Amino acid sequence: MTKKKLLLNIFGPILSVVVLIGIWQAIVVWGNVAPYIAPKPWDAINAVTSNWSTLAPLTWWTIKETVYGYLVGALLGAFLGVVLNKIPLMQRVLYPLLILTQAIPIIALAPPLVMILGFGVMPKVVIVAWIVFFPVTVSVLDGLNHVDKDLMTLAKVFGANSLRRFVVLEMPAAVTQLFSGLKIGATYAVTGAIIGELAASSGSSLALYQRSASGSLDAAGVYGTTLIMTAIGIVWFLLVVGAEYIATPWQRRSTARQWRRGAKPVVTNN
Amino acid sequence: MKRNFLSLSVAGAVLALSSVTVLSAGSIASASTLTAVKFVYDFPGPDMEIIPVVVAQKEGFFKANGLNVSVEFPPSTSLTTQLLTTGSGDIGFITTSDMAVAVEAKAPVISVANYSMTNNWGLFAKPGSTLTLASLKGKKIFSWGDTWTNAMIPFVLKKAHLKASDITIVTGANDTPLLMNGTINFTTSTTNYAIPGITEATKSAPVGIVGAAAGVPNVPVWVYAVTHNYANQHGKNVRAFLKAIKAATIWASSHQTKAVADFMAAYPKSGYSKFYSTKGWALTVPLLTNSAGKYFVQTNKQWTTLATALKSVKLIKSVPAPSTYYTNKFLP
Amino acid sequence: MSSSSLLELRGISKTFASTTALSTMDLTIERGSFVSIVGPSGCGKSTLFNVLSGLIQPDGGSINLEGRDVIGATGHVGYMLQKDLLVPWRTVLGNITLGARLKGKVTAEDRDQAKGFAEKYGLGDFLNHYPSALSGGMRQRVALMRTLATNHQLLLLDEPFGALDAQTRFEMQQWLLQVWRDTQRTVLFITHDVDEAVFLSDRILVMSPRPGRVVDDLAVNLPRPRTLETLVSPAFTEIKSKVLHQLHHERAL
Ligand SMILES: Nc1ncnc2c1ncn2[C@@H]1O[C@H](COP(=O)(O)OP(=O)(O)O)[C@@H](O)[C@H]1O
Ligand SMILES: [Mg+2]
Repeated sequence: MTKKKLLLNIFGPILSVVVLIGIWQAIVVWGNVAPYIAPKPWDAINAVTSNWSTLAPLTWWTIKETVYGYLVGALLGAFLGVVLNKIPLMQRVLYPLLILTQAIPIIALAPPLVMILGFGVMPKVVIVAWIVFFPVTVSVLDGLNHVDKDLMTLAKVFGANSLRRFVVLEMPAAVTQLFSGLKIGATYAVTGAIIGELAASSGSSLALYQRSASGSLDAAGVYGTTLIMTAIGIVWFLLVVGAEYIATPWQRRSTARQWRRGAKPVVTNN
Repeated sequence: MKRNFLSLSVAGAVLALSSVTVLSAGSIASASTLTAVKFVYDFPGPDMEIIPVVVAQKEGFFKANGLNVSVEFPPSTSLTTQLLTTGSGDIGFITTSDMAVAVEAKAPVISVANYSMTNNWGLFAKPGSTLTLASLKGKKIFSWGDTWTNAMIPFVLKKAHLKASDITIVTGANDTPLLMNGTINFTTSTTNYAIPGITEATKSAPVGIVGAAAGVPNVPVWVYAVTHNYANQHGKNVRAFLKAIKAATIWASSHQTKAVADFMAAYPKSGYSKFYSTKGWALTVPLLTNSAGKYFVQTNKQWTTLATALKSVKLIKSVPAPSTYYTNKFLP
Repeated sequence: MSSSSLLELRGISKTFASTTALSTMDLTIERGSFVSIVGPSGCGKSTLFNVLSGLIQPDGGSINLEGRDVIGATGHVGYMLQKDLLVPWRTVLGNITLGARLKGKVTAEDRDQAKGFAEKYGLGDFLNHYPSALSGGMRQRVALMRTLATNHQLLLLDEPFGALDAQTRFEMQQWLLQVWRDTQRTVLFITHDVDEAVFLSDRILVMSPRPGRVVDDLAVNLPRPRTLETLVSPAFTEIKSKVLHQLHHERAL
């Protein structure tokens, strides 16, 4: 990446956020919007920082719900993708069922989950996983279905058994696709956690804090919690992008990183 | 305080749309002579507390007072005051605690009439359970997470000599099933919602500690409110609205079966059974008049008591003059 | 089976549903020879390779490779197609050792062997590169090294240079001959290009249109090493015209 490109990559997003905040500020100030309807950006940020001792543990909970749910969903999704690819019958039996799961409104899912799993972190994890697994399954399935047939043939000629063909060729070939599913899932995950918190919370939660703020006409609190939720979503998305960057170096590099095992630089007589 | 918070929000939005269309279609002929008023409920979906408005629509009380009233439901709870201030609604139905926080937030709204006169809020449990202040410690108690419930729970704890950490407050989408399968021990609600709901599910009346017994201040729970602007510019409409509502309320109190039928016809998909709405309305009627048998009348004392109580649990910072909250000048 | 023959096919045939891709075929390939197979499209050349490599089961007959019956088995030949089939996530080194990885672990010997190939044949500086950084000719070289690295005596190359431009192709042909000489392998080489077949081979098998069978078996007695001079020698032209005649004669029938 050239220096110019790097600068653009860093300052481009920052600039767009600044512009967005500017528009927000302009609407609130020039539109004479009352502070109990919508706060100025700074007031929303202030509502977070000045209440951080209350918000920090709630934020931490939401992060946990998001991350646990995401991991469960991603693993389950990848597993299902493989199952669907490997067992053709499953594509007919399971696929409609999987689509059905996504057609159920998440809101309808919440009450039975609470009854079975209680008010803790579990029902949120299930809801997040429920949302996240699907794009992952679809992308893994897509990736596996599009592995070069000739490459698989070649591997057979080389005498590779099906497990090796899967591990050495199909899995890495599906990784690029997998990440597109993981990224979509990452953007949805925090939404799932918040829906879960609204549906059932013990003690407090970010969603409930927001609801209370809304009930108190504390728009700064409402927007502030929204900022936190958004930040969780963005940071998680960026982490997934970072993982993709590390996991798929061939997508943007011409040589392997030197420290990676199995791709050592040429060392004669080692 | 009301049930089915989440699932109703969707249904509510749909209903709000359909009822608006139906009403506007039905009133084309008289549109020129009637003044349009937008009424905003306190909850995303309709329930039996809206009966006075429905009856006034259906039985012609609004028309007789020159009004064409449409009903809007907020996308979620506690947004009604905001909808009034942005002009999306004219007359709102809110809790007195909503009113207090609105004034604290300097939202230019004012209460124009009490809906109910007493505090019928409390804790409820399955029939046959032990529910006393002494039995609260270590229990899971359901809350809707709304301002009113947030305001009341500290009073219960105070009276029970408990700390907040002595109980677990849980929040969710619907309390009755959770109560039935023991996921929660007690729920918080008002008599007119809790009793029909639990009775319907268990075939017998719940146990409860309500009002003074629960340690909560005895103040009205719901009021009708408008913005200062609307009060100043359309006082005539407010007066006409309350006049129609009073007539409709009296009619609905003496024709309860008919009133519930009007509600069920207006909102066939409210999610509430005829049993629930009938029982709920029957329990609501006695709440609507004060000890002198009068509707609507607000007092300095009720607002001072409420504001003092809310300040003591830190929901508001200061107790303003009671006149900041209300006016009786539009009463019929 | 004579002591110098590596591969013997007896009575091999293959019919797909209604199309007979290969009619009964008998063939003996000498160890260390370079044999090209030419013939019109769809005459069953690739089918023959697929049978040899064990990808498809012939309808009948026997295949004897280095004294073993290999019908239906895999893992006994090197195999390379027009598509280089390099895996984008493995480096040049990783691609050359892919065969070893597919059979288990890549050992230090495997790696040393791969490095040896790469260094010897001009890719030493690219061992750590991903295939996306390589030119078409380089990619084909890596693909051939991968085939060599499987350490099978018999290499089946199915139009490996079909997608390269003329200049690169000539370079690759010369290079292939060098590799063949160095490594002493036996090559079966499918091509459409008669020049290529004559330039590379000891022997050319001409196949008839479907159902495929060998209609001519020509020895190419041009001296080695073969160079640019070879291409313009009268002997080259003579053999080339024989092959072309045979191909066109068959087509006219
Ligand atoms: N797996 C298969 N199933 C059915 N028909 C096949 C299959 N493979 C090859 N064929 C047919 O067999 C004939 C020979 O094919 P092939 O060996 O690929 O020819 P080529 O000489 O061009 O390599 C063709 O008609 C082809 O369509
Ligand atoms: Mg072919």
